Amino acid sequence: MNGIYGEYRPVLENIKDEFEKRIEEYTQKEYEKSGIRIYEHLIARVKEEESMCEKCRRKNLPETPESAMKKLHDSIGLRIVCSFIEDIYKNIKYIKAFPDCKVIHEKDYIRHAKPNGYRSYHMILEIQFPCADVYGNNPGTFYVEIQLRTIAMDSWAALEHKLKYKKNVANQELIIAELKRCADEMASCDVSMQTIRDLITETEN
Amino acid sequence: MKILLAEDEKDLSRALKAILEHSKYAVDAVYDGQTAVEYASENAYDALILDIMMPKLDGVSALKQIRESGNYTPALFLTAKAEIDDRIAGLDAGADDYLTKPFAMGELLARIRSMTRRAGTYMVKKLKIGSVALDTAEQELSCENSIRLASKETKLMEYFMTNVNKPLSTNEIFNHVWADDSQADPKIVFMYISFLRSKIRAVNGDIEISGREDETYTLRSVTDGDAD
Repeated sequence: MNGIYGEYRPVLENIKDEFEKRIEEYTQKEYEKSGIRIYEHLIARVKEEESMCEKCRRKNLPETPESAMKKLHDSIGLRIVCSFIEDIYKNIKYIKAFPDCKVIHEKDYIRHAKPNGYRSYHMILEIQFPCADVYGNNPGTFYVEIQLRTIAMDSWAALEHKLKYKKNVANQELIIAELKRCADEMASCDVSMQTIRDLITETEN
Repeated sequence: MKILLAEDEKDLSRALKAILEHSKYAVDAVYDGQTAVEYASENAYDALILDIMMPKLDGVSALKQIRESGNYTPALFLTAKAEIDDRIAGLDAGADDYLTKPFAMGELLARIRSMTRRAGTYMVKKLKIGSVALDTAEQELSCENSIRLASKETKLMEYFMTNVNKPLSTNEIFNHVWADDSQADPKIVFMYISFLRSKIRAVNGDIEISGREDETYTLRSVTDGDAD
């Protein structure tokens, strides 16, 4: 037994590394142009086999490489954390310009926040990679999930995640309401910081 | 601070205008109730001073119309008649105070100061223009999303929403919103307009604040769909 990714595990690692490399490349290019590092930090991972199996069970899918890499789209995941809101949209522009990738799904939870206050930009990419996939196609088709958010959105999401997986939290409703208020306050700071940066840049030019 | 003075006795109006201006108020003088309603719908005032007996439209009816349009600017009646019925009708029409003629100028000025100090304490706490709502108690701006506002941002947004479609000069805004802050610089107005513009966009609001730095600004609803 090779685990749920079977012989494809190294390919997934390669694709993950390739994305990290590309993101660093365009960030460097953008930095030379504008003096701004458009991401603050980056987390890239191949989903743990155990949690991939658990997800298959939850979705009533057989625990096979096909389920993990074709039916589900988050075997490779990246989270790009930025200092400013506009940096997120710059990253998206660069990512959409990757010639071998196609966006098959995207959701802007920054402009359209979830009712609980969650804000982030989600996209799923389909990439043609020069390795065979589970269907024997070469180049094969693989999927990458990317989440983009500001530092404030990231710390909020981490706290919200903690709440979601904890049972029997005291005053749960109150905490949910206060967490929503925090999300709106942090969004306010993100927007104000962006506006101040714009005002400073306008003065420079 | 800007005052609308509606008084049909030309001599009294001239004297009041001179004294108010001497006390650093900007004054628009009109001479009948109908013109008072028009001025109140086109300009933003910090206080209204209305005579009761006026041609075209009396002061009580004029204030009723002003209040019905959602305008809660503090208002004071001047009346020659010391009759109780007039005072009751005036207060019930939405006046905050009254003075019977003849009155001492010092008392009028003190009553204006008292009235403008209290302004906003009894105000509607939930305002809505287009699909954008402002809850001044919660300092929350909401449309598709919701976002928190700082205290001065809330005050500025409230000023715009209670004076929708009216051009507001940088000076008027500064004097109204930053009246209690002697350290502030009028340059701050444009910065806060910029904050509000971004926050209106962040909630996907269907309203906009038009106008350029140091000029006049107007809040309007935009009808052509998404403000993006």
